[in-house]
Amino acid sequence: MKTMTLNRSSTKAMNYKVKKVLGAVAIYCVLIIVCAIFLFPCLWLILSSFSATGSLYDTPGFFPESYSFDAFIKLFTDTANHNYPQWLANTLVIAIFNCIFSTLLIIGTAYVISYFQFKARKGLMKSALVLSMFPSFMGMTVIYILMTQFNIVNNIWGLVLIYSCTAPLGYLVQKGFFDTIPQSIYEAAKIDGATNARIFTTITLPLAKPIIVYTALTSFTWPWSDFILPKLLLIEKDNWTVAVGLMQLGQDEFARFAAGSVFIAVPIVVLYFFLVKYMVNGMTSGAVKG
Amino acid sequence: MKSKKLISTLLLSTLVIGLASCGGGDDPDDGGDGSVFDKFDGNLEVGATIKVVENDTAIKMGYLDELLDAFNEAYAEYNITAVDANQGEFADLPNSGPYGYGPDVIYQANDVLMGWVQDRHVTPLPVEKIEAYQSGVIPSAAQAAYQAEVGGVNYTFGVPLNIQSPLLYYRKDLLPADWETTWDDDQNGVPDMVENLVDLYEFSKIYHEQDNTKYGFEFSLNDFYFSSGYLFSYGAYLFGDNNRDDTDIGLHAGDARYGVQVLRQFAAEMSAACIDDSAKLAISGSMASGKYFSSVTTPDVRSVIVSTLATTYQSEKGLTLEEATALAEENVIGVPFPDLPANGDLINPSDEMIECKQMGGINGYAMSSYTKYPNASLAFINFATSYEMAKLREEFLQIAPARSDVSAESTELSKQLFDRVSNGSIVLMPSIKAIDQVWTPAGSFMGDVAADSNRGANAKYDTLDKIQAALEQLSQDIYDAIHLLDR
Repeated sequence: MKTMTLNRSSTKAMNYKVKKVLGAVAIYCVLIIVCAIFLFPCLWLILSSFSATGSLYDTPGFFPESYSFDAFIKLFTDTANHNYPQWLANTLVIAIFNCIFSTLLIIGTAYVISYFQFKARKGLMKSALVLSMFPSFMGMTVIYILMTQFNIVNNIWGLVLIYSCTAPLGYLVQKGFFDTIPQSIYEAAKIDGATNARIFTTITLPLAKPIIVYTALTSFTWPWSDFILPKLLLIEKDNWTVAVGLMQLGQDEFARFAAGSVFIAVPIVVLYFFLVKYMVNGMTSGAVKG
Repeated sequence: MKSKKLISTLLLSTLVIGLASCGGGDDPDDGGDGSVFDKFDGNLEVGATIKVVENDTAIKMGYLDELLDAFNEAYAEYNITAVDANQGEFADLPNSGPYGYGPDVIYQANDVLMGWVQDRHVTPLPVEKIEAYQSGVIPSAAQAAYQAEVGGVNYTFGVPLNIQSPLLYYRKDLLPADWETTWDDDQNGVPDMVENLVDLYEFSKIYHEQDNTKYGFEFSLNDFYFSSGYLFSYGAYLFGDNNRDDTDIGLHAGDARYGVQVLRQFAAEMSAACIDDSAKLAISGSMASGKYFSSVTTPDVRSVIVSTLATTYQSEKGLTLEEATALAEENVIGVPFPDLPANGDLINPSDEMIECKQMGGINGYAMSSYTKYPNASLAFINFATSYEMAKLREEFLQIAPARSDVSAESTELSKQLFDRVSNGSIVLMPSIKAIDQVWTPAGSFMGDVAADSNRGANAKYDTLDKIQAALEQLSQDIYDAIHLLDR
């Protein structure tokens, strides 16, 4: 009787193990397929950037027949009509300054909304929430007309201005983070005689490192890949960003387009690898209210 | 109550400021006779900076720098400077011009420039002050391409400089080794297969039989800029009254059906790439690999074919880049479209051949209506279209000039194109906005014709009567598209 029970339980354990292994295999299979689906376009783009013929239509199958670095070399040397280095520099300037200004404004907005209690607080929050629901391209015509009146069309600083000014509308994640900082810390600081500015600089900011990094990174990446606004506002080729410039390449220059796309992805990928820890901390801390 | 008043005041102020902001933008001139030319008073605007939009190839080949340097030197005493507008060759004048960001002078094809006339984005030019017109070197067909009636008055809106037209390009090194004895009946030193379509049809069959992945002649039939010439050759036209009357669509006129039949027959010897843009987009790789012996494209694409072929030569023959490029330059030949059989039948052709017409355009300079420097801009246009600069342009870009004096000293191909414009064998793109409604329906129809050769019993265009009916329907569809809002 005892042996039978043992046999039965060992069979159950075996079945459980088999089921567990089969489940893991199934999950890994699905994950591998999903990865392949997501990786294939990237792989295709990277290999296309090394195509020797340059045109998308010359490849008999998915991948080029012959490979070379020509597209990358042309990208940086053939600048008469397509000045990629200039576009890259413009994109970098816009992204860096937007990163600085937007981070300051978003963190400031989120902190004020989270920490201070004032009369219009709820109203402001509701307005910001409603306004952020409208897609940004809805106001394109208005933005263009206003920018012409201020004479900052065709100027990369105009773009920095728009990006930075609209950034605080997305303060909610950061506010969520600040909400998790216990009020008792602030109260203790106040009892010790700290001013609001001192509380913010010496207590809040060091604690908010993950969310600041997260905010800076997202503020940097948004203009890095944005197309609609730069296309609308930047008229002269030397002011274009990479996203706008690459779109102007001819269809027989696909390798160059792919090379430009691959190259512009490099800084973002590097940044992500270095800052992924803060990113995850920032996102999770901001998303879950303590 | 107080807060409501405050909110109302704020909203009202926002509205007023907003409306005030929206008032800006430069207006084009009124186009009325008299005032329209007043601005060309001959007083050059000292210190002006003229923004010039040029062709991408002209920038790439260094011609624009030469032009700007020469002009700036010539007008240094007036402190007038011409600069690259830096907006790409397809500058968006209608959107950027009214706000003051557009170019002053634009080089473009006549259909693009004249498409802006109706909305008055380009300004009429005083022809009596333009040397190219006054010296009588511009053929009347090219002049007509830049003329339009506005408010009952006929104006000229541009100065022709170059002729653009698609050509048949073929690989000289892929000709049969004995072509001079077997494919040159008239012994004129030009292969018969690039002189007439009947021989090209025969050659294509042989070329394909030798290797079924290769085709003797292939192009995108759905591109009406390329395929319309076959219809024009047999009597079709786009718009009546020399392409000015958009109430008269003539794609079914004359024996246009023969042109469709010729293309349908030839499509059977082409690959499926002829149905859509595939052949056009793959032309450089396909010609470099020998997949296509010949194809149709515009002269600006030739440099891409040459560079791709040079890359192929480098890897196949082990040549240096310079040697390979020189060889490719020698082997990629452009010629006008081959002649057609008068009976419109490639399978049972008549002995009589007719010249194949082709659609083309006149590229030239026009002036933005929003320019603040009309006299300096006019000086630039005069300078850029002068004999010296037109000649220099031809040397840099190998593009057919529209001036007779420059053409007379140019290459044989340029002379042929000039003559074809003058005698009407190159049908110029209409300079009216209605042309926008032609490309898509006509291109779709030609793509359908290309696909028809493989439909067997389900063919839609296998008799001349069916083709005629389809062409009449096409003309009607285009008419309806143009005049949809007139009803």
